Amino acid sequence: MISDTTASRIIEAALSTNADFAEIFEEQKTSSAVGLLDGRTIRASSGIDYGVGIRLMAGTNVVYVYTCDKTEEALIKLAKQAASAIKAGTSAAVKQVQALSRSSASLLDIDPLTVSKKTNIDFLREASEFALSYDELITQVQASYATSRRIVHIVNSEGFNKEESMTRIRFSVSAVATKGNEKQTGRIAPGTMRGYEFVNEYPIIEKTKGCCDTAIRMINAGYAPSGKMPVIIGNGFGGVIFHEACGHALESTSVGIGASCFTDKIGKQIASSVVSARDNARIEGEWGSYMTDDTGRESSNLLLIENGICKNYMIDDLGARRMNAQPTGCGRRQDFTYAPTSRMSNTYIENGTDKPEDIIADTEYGLYCTKMGGGSVDTATGEFNFASEEAYMIRNGKVAEPVRGATLIGKGQEILMNIDRVGNDLELSAGMCGSLSGNVPVTVGQPTIRVSSILVGGREA
Amino acid sequence: MDKDFSLSYIKKLVEKAVEYGFEEAEACFMSTSSMEINILNSEVSSYENSTLEGVGFRGKKNGQMGGSFTTDLGDDAIDFMLSTAMENCEVLNDEDEEFIYCDPQNAHLESIQLSGTYDKNTYERFEKTGLELEKDILALSEYIKAVDYLSVSCGTGPSISVNSKGLYTYKDSDYITIFAEARAEKDGVVKTGGHYWFGKDIDEFDKEAFLKVLKKKVLGKLGASSVDSGEYKVIFDSEAFVSLLHTFLGAFSSYNMQKGLSLLKGKEGDTIASDIFTLREEPMYEEALIKFPFDSEGVLTSSKALIDHGVFVKALYNLKTAHKEGKESTGNGFKSAFSAPVGISATNLVVTPGDKSFDELCEWIGEGIYLTELNGLHAGVNQISGDFSLFCEGYLIKDGKIARPVEQITVADNFYQVIKKIIAVGSDTISVPEGKGEYFCPSVAVSKMNISGDTGEEGEE
Repeated sequence: MISDTTASRIIEAALSTNADFAEIFEEQKTSSAVGLLDGRTIRASSGIDYGVGIRLMAGTNVVYVYTCDKTEEALIKLAKQAASAIKAGTSAAVKQVQALSRSSASLLDIDPLTVSKKTNIDFLREASEFALSYDELITQVQASYATSRRIVHIVNSEGFNKEESMTRIRFSVSAVATKGNEKQTGRIAPGTMRGYEFVNEYPIIEKTKGCCDTAIRMINAGYAPSGKMPVIIGNGFGGVIFHEACGHALESTSVGIGASCFTDKIGKQIASSVVSARDNARIEGEWGSYMTDDTGRESSNLLLIENGICKNYMIDDLGARRMNAQPTGCGRRQDFTYAPTSRMSNTYIENGTDKPEDIIADTEYGLYCTKMGGGSVDTATGEFNFASEEAYMIRNGKVAEPVRGATLIGKGQEILMNIDRVGNDLELSAGMCGSLSGNVPVTVGQPTIRVSSILVGGREA
Repeated sequence: MDKDFSLSYIKKLVEKAVEYGFEEAEACFMSTSSMEINILNSEVSSYENSTLEGVGFRGKKNGQMGGSFTTDLGDDAIDFMLSTAMENCEVLNDEDEEFIYCDPQNAHLESIQLSGTYDKNTYERFEKTGLELEKDILALSEYIKAVDYLSVSCGTGPSISVNSKGLYTYKDSDYITIFAEARAEKDGVVKTGGHYWFGKDIDEFDKEAFLKVLKKKVLGKLGASSVDSGEYKVIFDSEAFVSLLHTFLGAFSSYNMQKGLSLLKGKEGDTIASDIFTLREEPMYEEALIKFPFDSEGVLTSSKALIDHGVFVKALYNLKTAHKEGKESTGNGFKSAFSAPVGISATNLVVTPGDKSFDELCEWIGEGIYLTELNGLHAGVNQISGDFSLFCEGYLIKDGKIARPVEQITVADNFYQVIKKIIAVGSDTISVPEGKGEYFCPSVAVSKMNISGDTGEEGEE
C-alpha cells in the first residue's frame, strides 16, 4: 500500500499547477471464478488486479490518469503529467494526511477466499445434477461461481486517508428447456457481501427447481400481446424498472448538467403518492453496499422519493461542484481505470400497504411480470425499455396463462406517476449496473407494484 | 514497460511454467495507452491519459488448460500465476481439449498497423477539435439545447504472446474516436441523438459530414409520435441492422453449436436466409481500420462466406472446437483481454450490397417503417431461439418517402425469420464499428415485421 509520505509527495506534485483538489485511488483486487456446463468444470481462473488512479479537479474540470506501476517515481511523474493538463484554476493548500481509517460493509463469518475451488464446484455440481434429472425438457445447465476481494485506498488533498474492503460472492444457475427449435432459460444469480455462510445457507436445490419450472413454463408459453395495459411487476428484480426508469435520472451525472428529465424537481411531485424510494448503501452484507465510497466519503441511506415528492439526488463530488450541493457519498467506479461518477447502490421502492394477492385480485385484465430481465434508459428523455423473463396474463383478477417475449417501454416520468398500487413484500435482488464509470454491483428492489398503463411490445395483436 | 522487458518477462514465465510441471504453456502481455478529452459547456471538463498493462497465462496439465492473470507485474506475480493456474488445471474436467499451438511455417507473426500520425494526437489538438465541434453542433439549430457528451480519444498499445511450442506473435495498432451526443427540445419534448467518427489520422476527420449526420439523428426525431400496432414493411438503416445482426452473431460460433446453443447446428449447406443476402468475414478487408492476419492462438485468418446467397456456408472455429469435429480452425480463436480465455469471435464482416439507393428503396416499398435505432438489445432478445422484442425509433414511410419520425414503438420478431424475409439490400454501405472489427453494411429491407405502438389519446405527448 502507498505510504502516507509517498502519498503526500504525489499529492504535492499533482497540485503543482492550478488544481484545487487531488486524489490518489489505489486498488487491489483478488479474484477467483469457476464455470460449469452440465456438471463439468469447463472454466477456472484466478487473478490479481492492481492499479493506481490519480484525479485532479480545478473547479468542475477533471483530469484522470492511471497506471499499474506502483513505484513512487512513476506515480510522481504521472501526477506531474496530470497537473500539466490543468490549464486554469486556483491551487489549494494541501491538508495533512489523516491517520488511515478502515471500513467495510462485508459481513464475513467464513472468508470466501479461504474456501477451495473444489468446494465451490461441488456446490454448483449438486445444483446442475438436480436440474439435469428434473425434467426431460431441461437439456442444459450452466452454473458459475465467482468471488473477489477488492481493497481500495483513497488519499486526497483534503486529508482523507480511507480504506474500504469489499468481499463479494456471486453465483448463478441457468437451466435451459428445449422443445423442437425453441429454447427458454430460467436463471438465478444471487450476490452477497456476506461470507461463505451465505452459500451454505442458500436453498440451492429449491431455487434451482424454481429456475427449471420457469424455463419449462416459458417454453410452453405463447407470445405476449401488444398494446397498452395495466402491468403488475413482481417484487425483487422487478425493481429494475425503478433503477432504469428513475434511478439513473436522479444521479448528478445527468442532473448536474441539466440532462435529466428530473432536473430541478426537488420538493416537487415526480411519482404517484403511494411511492417512496431509497438508495441505501449502508445495509451490511448486501451486494450493492459500501461504507466508504470510491472517493473516500461516507456512504448514505438516502431518501430519493417520499410519498411521490422528490427529496434528494445522488450526488458525487464533481456533481456537488456543478450543483453547488453536498456530495451524498455515491462516487463509484468499476476499478482504477475509471474516474468515479454518481452511482446507485441498493436502490428500492419502499413497502406499501397492499397485499400482493389483493393487487392481482383487483386487476381485471393485464400483464403480471414475475421475473424481469435487463433494460436501458435515456436519462434526458426518460425513455426506457426492459424485458420480462417470466410473465403471465391476468384475467378477471386471476393469474392466467404464461406468456413470453414481452418488452415494456415508456417514459420514466409517466410510469412513476402511473404506479397505483404498492405491495408489502419488499425484496432486494443483485445485479450489475453499467454507466460512465464502468460496471458496479448494485441491488434493485421493490415490493409487488401495479402500473395502471404501460405499452407492452409483444407479438400478438 | 518497454517491448524487450515485457517480452523477456513473458518468456521467463513460460520457461518457469515448464519447469513447474506444465506440459505446455503460453503467456501474453498486453498494453493499452489511451488519451481522452471530454468537452462540456465550452471547456475541457475531463482529461484522461493512462496506460494499462497486464499479463495473461495459460498452462496445460493432464489435458486441462488452467488460466491466471495479473496487472501487478513482478517476480511474486510469476509464482502467483503459475500456482493458481496449476490449481485451476486440477479442478477442471472439460471433455473438450484446448491447445497451445505453433505452425512451424508461421512461428513468427507480426502485425504492425501504426498510422505514423499518432504524434498529432496532443491535448491541444484534441481540445481544439472538441471545442470547435461543440460550438458547431450548438449552431446547427435553435432547437439544440446542449451537447451532453462529447469525447475525443485515441489509443494504442502492443500485444505480445509467446508459447512453449515456439510461437511468437506481436501486434500493434492505433485509433482515434470522436463521439458527440446532443439534446434537442421543441414544444417541451426532449430528444437526444449521438454520432461517432473513428479513424487513424485526426486530419481526416470530416467535421461537416459529421455535423450533417448528427443533425439528422437529433433534429429528425422532433415531432415524433407513435403508430398503430400492426405488420409493416421495414427498412433497417445500416447501424440498426448491424446491431441486430451482431446480437445474434453467436449463432455462427461452432462452440455454441456444439453446446446446443445455436439453431444453425447441422445446417451447413441449408438455405437459412433470402437468396439476396450474403454475409462474409473479411479479416483483411481493404477499407477496414484494423486488419486481422492471425488470431490469438497463432492461426492465420481467412476470408470466407458465412451466408452465401442465403445458404449457410460455414461456422467459425478455434482450435478447440475444430479438434472436436476433426476440422481445421478457421482462425477465429480470439481473446477479448489478457485476462480472458480464448473464445470465438468474428473480425470484419461485410454484407454484400445490392443496387438500390436508399431513396429507391423507400420508393420501392412505398409504405412502411424506416428503423434507425434498436434499444435494449442486451435484454429484449432470446439469443438461442432468435426471438426479440425491442424498443425502437425511426420514421414512417408514406408514398415512397420519409413522412415523419416515430417513437414509443417496439418491434417483435425472430432473427431467423427476419433474414429470410429480406426483400432488398441497398447500395449505401457504411462502416459500423461493432465487436472486434467493423461491419460494412448497407440499408436492408424486410417484407413484414410486427410493430407495436399506440396512437390513442393516452399515448400522445
